[in-house]
Amino acid sequence: MANMVKLKIDGKEINAQEGMTLIDAAELGGIHIPNLCYIKGMKGIGACRLCMVDIEGSKTPMIACTTKVKEGMNVNTQSERVRENRKFVIDLILSMHPLDCMTCTKAGVCNLQNYAYDFEIKDSTFTRKKFGFAIDEGNPFVKRDPDYCVLCARCVRVCKEQGTNVLEFLGRGVGSKVATANDKPLEESGCTFCGSCIDACPVNAILEGERWRRGREWDYTKIKSVCLNCGNGCDIDVSTKDGEVVKINAGAEKGSAERYICAIGRYGFDSVISDARITYPLKRVGNALKEVSWDEALKIAAEKLKSAGKDTGFISTANILNQDAFIFGKLASEAVKTKNVDATVSLYADEDSMKYSDSADMDEADVFVVAGLNPSQWERVTPALDAVIRKRIQRGAKLITINADDTRLASAANVSIKGDEAAALGQIAKALIAKGAKAPKEMEGALQAVNASEDAEKAAAMLTEAKSPVIFTAPSLFNASKNISLLINTKVVAVPFEANARGVVAMGLITEGKTYKEMVNGGVKALYTVGEIPLSARPKGVDFLIVQNSHMTELARQADLVLPSAMPLESEGTIINYLGKVKQAAKTVEPFGESRQHKDIFTAISKEMGSPIKESKVKAAEAKAKPKFSPFEKKQGLDINPLEFTESINRSVIYSSRLLWLKEREKAAV
Amino acid sequence: MLSETVLKEIEEIKAKYPSARSALLPALYVAQREFGWQSEKAMQAVAQALNLPEAEVRGTATFYSMYKHKPMGRHLIQLCTNVSCMILGAERLVDFLKNRYGLTQNGTTADGRFSLVIMECIGGCDMAPAMLLNTDFYGDLTEEKIGEILGGYK
Ligand code: SF4
Ligand code: SF4
Ligand code: SF4
Ligand code: FES
Repeated sequence: MANMVKLKIDGKEINAQEGMTLIDAAELGGIHIPNLCYIKGMKGIGACRLCMVDIEGSKTPMIACTTKVKEGMNVNTQSERVRENRKFVIDLILSMHPLDCMTCTKAGVCNLQNYAYDFEIKDSTFTRKKFGFAIDEGNPFVKRDPDYCVLCARCVRVCKEQGTNVLEFLGRGVGSKVATANDKPLEESGCTFCGSCIDACPVNAILEGERWRRGREWDYTKIKSVCLNCGNGCDIDVSTKDGEVVKINAGAEKGSAERYICAIGRYGFDSVISDARITYPLKRVGNALKEVSWDEALKIAAEKLKSAGKDTGFISTANILNQDAFIFGKLASEAVKTKNVDATVSLYADEDSMKYSDSADMDEADVFVVAGLNPSQWERVTPALDAVIRKRIQRGAKLITINADDTRLASAANVSIKGDEAAALGQIAKALIAKGAKAPKEMEGALQAVNASEDAEKAAAMLTEAKSPVIFTAPSLFNASKNISLLINTKVVAVPFEANARGVVAMGLITEGKTYKEMVNGGVKALYTVGEIPLSARPKGVDFLIVQNSHMTELARQADLVLPSAMPLESEGTIINYLGKVKQAAKTVEPFGESRQHKDIFTAISKEMGSPIKESKVKAAEAKAKPKFSPFEKKQGLDINPLEFTESINRSVIYSSRLLWLKEREKAAV
Repeated sequence: MLSETVLKEIEEIKAKYPSARSALLPALYVAQREFGWQSEKAMQAVAQALNLPEAEVRGTATFYSMYKHKPMGRHLIQLCTNVSCMILGAERLVDFLKNRYGLTQNGTTADGRFSLVIMECIGGCDMAPAMLLNTDFYGDLTEEKIGEILGGYK
């Protein structure tokens, strides 16, 4: 625990951690110090001069975003002098800012507007300047209007910190502006459209595309939830208006490196209202699918499942919620009485890696190892993992990458080892033992003939010095990585490609009968699929196919019965994300048309079958594995193409939202 | 792009600093010498050589007004028109350059031989009016003298 410091701000006694800035310390006491360039969690740059405060004993006002707390400090954030100074700054900024508040989308949450209001400035006392910069709005994601920019550099800094490096100032002084490398539009500048810059901008200079006239902040209902579109399971803040989702922002706590979402998380919500949604249950009549009532659909499902009995197969994606997964398992085991129930997780992860992964805290971790993974913001493969690690590096953490192939993340690493991953982990273990780590006998034996490379030595040195190291590993290398935790105190986390992989496994969706692969290769008579599973052709030998999904898919078109399910944004429950955090998914809007949440459909079918499942509180069994040595080897059969897989489970989301624009550009580029 | 020797020169500059970012300003000068000005290509080449984001290279280059931000003539005249030089007739020199060579502030002669930048004080007040021609200093200028001096730069 860091040392605590006592100080006074505006007469209020405050206990703050040593090393904290005045602006953060003031917040502890509920005191807001005006600011424009400050970003919680990042080092202050003292650019806007708005956060000036008076400190007893100091002749001149000081900058609160860079000045650290000291024992006995006496701070005044409201002295006549600093108020005058701040007013002057706002006055200056307003001289080059359009006074458009009446039509500005940002009204209500614009810092400049709020401060002008506080200081009672109606118009600048300086000569009005207008630059007339071009607006960058050639893409549907991020609209940049530099005429509104107050040059606070927040967007530049967040884009840089996460490693996308798209934005920078052009020129100097009042006439400067934020621009891309060659002042080209974002779509020609390597932008990933994550929108981090939107969340950072205090004014109307950067905003979501297509936001115009879709309501202002005060019109929205705000709901915290979680994104289920990839293995990261990021926190999101959802804004809804009149029962529709209007926008999504990053939802992790301010100051946390985890405050990031990618374009899929931010814009995928377009697909909630789309022509591709399945509105009613459908049953096959000859060559066509015909609308039927839920009553009829449930009856058909119950009948068919009953008659297929233990020859039924149940498969699901792992972006369903724990509550859905739990009841899904019950439907299979208790109502239908089959052991064939599996999730897409089994395509890329074994049970142990999901069950026995540790929980990790990204903001605490000081050394990261990334083994056999290629997270990428650019390809949108677990992009948050890539972004968050890069941010942590900027905040002082170190990175070791181990991969058989080249990865983009390797260029940000302190040590990057290219080559067989399991062997590299063995070498690091060997080097750790040479540094005095105690190893079980079998491990020492297994490593006898191993020589640690120079890079492995460096990695071992880094790990020995680390306070909270975390090893992120491909599930296939989980056991090999876990060995390191027998030598030093480290967290080991296998990273899945779906948001609730850990939860789905904890809920017991692990087959004791046929596996996912066997079932889709024709191993069952009746097949019940849940979610957007990566399958486009009806498996051979399946007499009856039930597809339960939110959107019409290739597979659904070939089904005998189609059940419309709610999307994650329309469902309520929990997930366990890759970091082992239990996160709450909220029902942000009502399910579209007649669609229902997965678990409600399962429960209704079980009732129809005469063996109703009781909804009970789900609780994942605490899984703790006994630490034991396993050979430094890679598990076979878990290789999938992460990019193809991620796109495939998100196909409907991508193709029925503005994300389609990205696909079309990709196509046009080929 | 940059030739092997130039890349080596940048490597040597890089070696003098703890991080590549610190070598950015001198590397930009090298690129400017090669490309004549801070063209898109010049900045791209520097970004590549130092492995820095292109946006950052451009941001830095445009921050400094003493880099050249458009194509320039072979020789750069930097003429002062600040107080001392103005009193001693710098404005007449400006007219002279315009009439004789067609040179205006920030302009270049049609034959690409000279470019003119009008400066705020180059620290030669004791010899006003004064100018820099490339890196050479000339003071106590008259119309006649400036004509002669320019004749020496082909
Ligand atoms: S959308 Fe993301 S990558 Fe693009 S400029 Fe903004 S922060 Fe940078
Ligand atoms: S665009 Fe917004 S975040 Fe970026 S510098 Fe301007 S005001 Fe700040
Ligand atoms: S990184 Fe994954 S979980 Fe996070 S917002 Fe993007 S798709 Fe959603
Ligand atoms: S917030 Fe401190 S100077 Fe901008």
